[in-house]
Amino acid sequence: MGMQGDFYQLLKEQGYTLGSSGQVGTGHVLTNATTILAFKYRDGVLVAGDRRATAGNMVMYDRTDKVLEIDRHSVMAIAGVPATAYEMVRVLEHSFKYYRRTQLQELSFDGKLRAVSKLLKENVPAALAGTGAVVPVFAGYDLEQGSAKIFFYDILGAEFEGVEYAVSGSGSPTIRGILHYLNTWGEQPLNALPEEQAMVQALRLLTSAAEFDSATGGVNREASLYPVIKLISGAGVQTVPDATLKPLYESQVVRYV
Amino acid sequence: MYEEPYRWVEAVGNRRQYLDEQFKQGSPVVALTYDGGILLTTVSKGTPKLYEIYDRLALGGMGHPTDLEKLRFSLLEMAHVEGFNRSPSDVTGSRLIKYGIAPVIKQAFEEVYKAPFIVRILVAELGQKPEKDALLTINYDGTFEEVTGHAVLAATTAIQGKMLTYLKEQQQATLSLEQALNLALRAWAIGSMAQQQDEADQQAEAKPAASGSGSSSAATPSSNALIEHVRGLASERTIECALLERQAPGTSKYRPLKQSDLSRLLPAALQSVVAN
Repeated sequence: MGMQGDFYQLLKEQGYTLGSSGQVGTGHVLTNATTILAFKYRDGVLVAGDRRATAGNMVMYDRTDKVLEIDRHSVMAIAGVPATAYEMVRVLEHSFKYYRRTQLQELSFDGKLRAVSKLLKENVPAALAGTGAVVPVFAGYDLEQGSAKIFFYDILGAEFEGVEYAVSGSGSPTIRGILHYLNTWGEQPLNALPEEQAMVQALRLLTSAAEFDSATGGVNREASLYPVIKLISGAGVQTVPDATLKPLYESQVVRYV
Repeated sequence: MYEEPYRWVEAVGNRRQYLDEQFKQGSPVVALTYDGGILLTTVSKGTPKLYEIYDRLALGGMGHPTDLEKLRFSLLEMAHVEGFNRSPSDVTGSRLIKYGIAPVIKQAFEEVYKAPFIVRILVAELGQKPEKDALLTINYDGTFEEVTGHAVLAATTAIQGKMLTYLKEQQQATLSLEQALNLALRAWAIGSMAQQQDEADQQAEAKPAASGSGSSSAATPSSNALIEHVRGLASERTIECALLERQAPGTSKYRPLKQSDLSRLLPAALQSVVAN
């Protein structure tokens, strides 16, 4: 019943199922054509994603938002099949709200993580059939502990904590190495970067990913298309406007390309 | 024996009497629109009486806490399922009340073998534009009403009328949050004083040789006297306030006012009560 504040359970009682189970074993190759990244910076955590959506070698859309705000203090960045990913975000958004309103308290950060794993586990048949694999990065600010946190998942729903950073999507192998290098031998570790520097690094990382991965959009200056960057601190989620990214990109990214 | 129509009417009449009795000790609830949205206020004892229902919906209640919880849960359930299956903008207060809980409350009220819901409910809905703001009230027998501007819940219809008259006299075209809070508390005091008066009158009637009931028709107390009344009760109760703020960031517009907000916004005479 709704008394436990479990919205997903309530939906299931009404006959709702997440995605279709599909036919297992079609042998379809899973593609997670995108790049998403999250790393901790001085005031919290930064989450960023490019904006390209592809189908095979076709560019379907260049204005996708893959970094989605779930509530005031958590964000899910998605790689994988968008239809399933967006549906998951919708379920999570309503679940967290429903819990808060019925139980009159905020769902704990661990409770939120658990909800993400649960949805991914429910989605395993579709993921294995190749019709609905989702590999998200979940980041947020744990108000109880007063610290930023990053978690990433495999398609089966296993949860891993990204201590300093996490990446996902087809462009991620490129930037994973860069993040490691930056964090270990950079001028300062990632978690000491001030806000502006963190944004510059995120833009540089996504530009690098786009350089080597055709499925990652990067920055398209002619069309004024910048990646989606969100900053999460104790004060909540803040979406960085293009007007802020444009000068940063032009002064600190473009001349190095 | 209730099969006979007369008996049934009698039973429903008794039920009304029984229910009216239950609200005597309750705390009135006041809802007002102000320049930034809608304000809900009550001065509660023990259990909270103001709740968030959905992105733009808030609830205020009077009556038995368990019954209120039951109905609150059905509202939450309906609102969230609808918001998920269709969209958040399809969740409207009037649908939730008219097709959701009103039939349930009415049925419980008329099934004389079963227990009725001991509740009066007020649902405030923040519209996309100020002129779309709506206030809905529903009584224990399932009758509902939709109004704009201000609405109240009170122990009896007579008291409710008194509070509404006061609000009508005093409400200006636009109120700031401080002004709205001040007015809401004064209207609350009108209701609370009238309840006390009713009780006193009843006790007086019980004793012989009371000198008429002249006191109940006394003039409207001054603003200071009303605030003073709230102050007198505030030490053993809590001033509860919640807002539906049009300019709030994000999709959820509901915000309960914390002690720190209250100590800043309340009329000066009440600030000290909240501070400690």
